Amino acid sequence: MNALSRFAADKTRSAGYGILVVAVILLGVIPLLMESLYSLHILVMVFFYVIAALSLRAIVISGQFPLGHAAFMGVGAYASGMAAKWLHLPPELTIPGAAVFTMIIGVMVAVSFSRLRALYYAMGSLFLGVAIIQILNAGGTWTGGYSGFSGITPMFGNSKVSWYYAALGLMILSAAALYRFEFSRIGTNMKAISQSHLVAESVGINEAKYRILAVAIGSFFVGLAGAGYAHYMGTIATSSYNFMATMWLFMYVLVGGVNNFFGPIVGSFILILIPEYFRSLKTYSPFISAGILFLFVYLMPGGFAGLIQAAVARVKSWRRERARDVAAD
Amino acid sequence: MEQVVATIFNVLILSSMYILVALGFAFLFNMLGILNLAHGAVYMVGGYIGFALINSAGVNPWVAILIATLIMAGFGVVLERFCFRPFTGDFNRIVMVGVGINVVLQTAVNALLGTRMQALPSFFDGYLRFGVVSVSYQRITIFLIGAALLVLVSWFVRRTKHGQQMQAISQDIEGAALSGINVHRVSALACAIGSGMAALAGCLMGSYLMLSPYMGDLMLIKALVLVILAGIGSIGGIFVTGLILGGLDAVAPVIFDGAVADAIPYIVVVVVLLLRPRGFFGREA
Amino acid sequence: MALLETRGVTVHYGKSLAVEDVSLRVEEGDVVSIIGANGAGKSTLLRALMGLKPVTDGEIFFGDEKIDGMRTNEIVKRGLILVPEGRRLFPYLSVLTNLRLGASLVEDKDEIEKTLKDVYRLFPRLKERRNQKAGTLSGGEQQMVAIGRGLMGKPKLLCMDEPSLGLAPIVVEAVGEAIKDINGKGVTVLLVEQNVHLALEVASSCYALQVGRVVMSGDMDTMRSSDVVKKAYLGG
Ligand SMILES: Nc1ncnc2c1ncn2[C@@H]1O[C@H](COP(=O)(O)OP(=O)(O)OP(=O)(O)O)[C@@H](O)[C@H]1O
Ligand SMILES: [Mg+2]
Repeated sequence: MNALSRFAADKTRSAGYGILVVAVILLGVIPLLMESLYSLHILVMVFFYVIAALSLRAIVISGQFPLGHAAFMGVGAYASGMAAKWLHLPPELTIPGAAVFTMIIGVMVAVSFSRLRALYYAMGSLFLGVAIIQILNAGGTWTGGYSGFSGITPMFGNSKVSWYYAALGLMILSAAALYRFEFSRIGTNMKAISQSHLVAESVGINEAKYRILAVAIGSFFVGLAGAGYAHYMGTIATSSYNFMATMWLFMYVLVGGVNNFFGPIVGSFILILIPEYFRSLKTYSPFISAGILFLFVYLMPGGFAGLIQAAVARVKSWRRERARDVAAD
Repeated sequence: MEQVVATIFNVLILSSMYILVALGFAFLFNMLGILNLAHGAVYMVGGYIGFALINSAGVNPWVAILIATLIMAGFGVVLERFCFRPFTGDFNRIVMVGVGINVVLQTAVNALLGTRMQALPSFFDGYLRFGVVSVSYQRITIFLIGAALLVLVSWFVRRTKHGQQMQAISQDIEGAALSGINVHRVSALACAIGSGMAALAGCLMGSYLMLSPYMGDLMLIKALVLVILAGIGSIGGIFVTGLILGGLDAVAPVIFDGAVADAIPYIVVVVVLLLRPRGFFGREA
Repeated sequence: MALLETRGVTVHYGKSLAVEDVSLRVEEGDVVSIIGANGAGKSTLLRALMGLKPVTDGEIFFGDEKIDGMRTNEIVKRGLILVPEGRRLFPYLSVLTNLRLGASLVEDKDEIEKTLKDVYRLFPRLKERRNQKAGTLSGGEQQMVAIGRGLMGKPKLLCMDEPSLGLAPIVVEAVGEAIKDINGKGVTVLLVEQNVHLALEVASSCYALQVGRVVMSGDMDTMRSSDVVKKAYLGG
């Protein structure tokens, strides 16, 4: 029986890998099949936001809710954009540099905030996010103030297809790194801590260290996403990184399913692509996003991942019943 | 002198409006732990309803404000009943619903009235003059209404049966239920009052500053600042933090250039939170 | 007909069983006690009675009405009131306000004043302390407020969850007197106690709970002479 259930688990896992491989191959051949540059553009955006949403998840699994996370995407974007534009540094240097810079800022904040309890940490992060946005707004010609600035050094000769593969590659690498992190010993401990402080105490884990580590990793990747996105767009403005932007990152995570690593990926695709499909509705199109949220809130509480899990569980129990029936015969 | 008096009035008006909105938010937050992310949008829609009634339907401004307040109070009941109550204790879903409602309301206003900035007409013309100093009746009225309402609400919370029941629920929800308090009904009432106050503040702010479909996002953040800096569970503290934030928001532009002035209050807030991790009057151990 | 009757009540926390197939009866006018070790499921049973915790199986009747599935305030309205474990007062409100809130469902103002007088007569200390915040009272005083708040709701059946917990012997004595006094006024009492001496002193019949099940029940004399109770609670 044990062997049987392990076999069944292996089977679902390999089914999961299968789906993953097919998805990556599909994403890989899309530029060959699609002529519409606009569609490629949207997908590039999705890839960057997937990185941002995954980075948010890395912090969320440690039991922290950084309500100012999008501002850190802004930090990455502005750091790289400004370094490239004003210091004439090559983007190949500024993008990773901006990611590291964001990580350093994130760690500084996490260390100063480590005394705060979960809710106050969330709020502190929110207010800090607003402060960051306002400081960028106050940056005069350096940051372009409220309207931001354009003319950020382009890459890949602005070829959409090159950008597509670059962003896809960056997304896959980031996802792989974050996956390794989440399922490493450290990641597992971190999840355990977030479930209960008692666990941390009884195992003697230094909670603060883990929380700071989570913020460091999350900040690095969100800075990376922001920087890459800035060079792709060529223009940035603070309004893309405000509180509501953070809330949308959270929505990507929650709609995809907060209990699953792949949740943020699926959530980003759902919440960006579906409303995009209805963009002809113009002013009314945000209703689609809201509609998706309500759909998930009222009908699919576990997010997309919860839906899949429920389906898998049902198939399994059905199979088990059949096995029992067969045995009974 | 003129500048000083104008600034004092700005402090008073901004503070009282922030407190009005923040109190409504705090009710639900303290009682049920609900993070009502639609609260800013309720404030915004209240302002627009007032605007639409006055400008398009030609309703008397006072009546228009009253109607806007009542409509949003009713909306508050619906919000509590269908958006929050089913998900009590489920933080994630309450956040999702809040964002959803926020988007719906903003999009609706956007589609119906456009993104153009609008303003409610002023209710009173003329100025009150003291020697060299003059203050518009409009500002005085806004402040007086705000202040009167705050007095009324504090009286309600502290002295009336329902107000005390609200306090009881925020101090011990199970103890409240065991005392026979109908937690759902009192929550709905709190949400109605909170939403009504937000809507009224929206109308008043709409005649003091401007209306925009996204004005609620900023107000929501200000409400959060007030509630968190006051300390969770503290209603009285909100009055203090409201004056502080209103003061910062009104005085900073006098001293600093626009964008810098916008940044300063939030920097101060972050620093304060680091120094007082539970806010000024937090009850949580 | 019994005032309170549970039939096969079963309660789970998630998948773990806390109360299993408990059937008990409380007759009008009685003082019935439930004893049992830590974690036996006593508080869980009371929470289920009050609708704070849904039952997974079984039925609860109060008078001739089925009350499981009702909301807590509806149950309170029918006269079933719980003085909960840990007291659950409103720490930042005055003693007087705490007491008045206990009468949330009582409409008649004179009635409320009269009950308040009764409570003050029972616990004169509360009258002295009426304007003090409940959270600043001593443990014994807080227990008095909790019982007083329960009485303010005009209970037919007053359930008390370990009212003697953490109190000095002399205060426990006072609580015992209060229970007798309350019962003397015609209020039926269901008393959950670990302090078996108190339970034996005031109750007329008793149920013993062990890991979620009723292992023994009967009138006080039977219980007193029972080996199980002697061994487990009375030290031999
Ligand atoms: N909220 C909860 N979640 C999970 N398990 C719980 C919860 N509350 C109680 N339990 C479990 O249910 C069982 C019964 O608990 P209960 O509080 O009813 O015991 P009790 O008899 O009142 O004990 P005590 O005398 O210590 O108050 C215990 O094993 C306890 O661990
Ligand atoms: Mg107990």
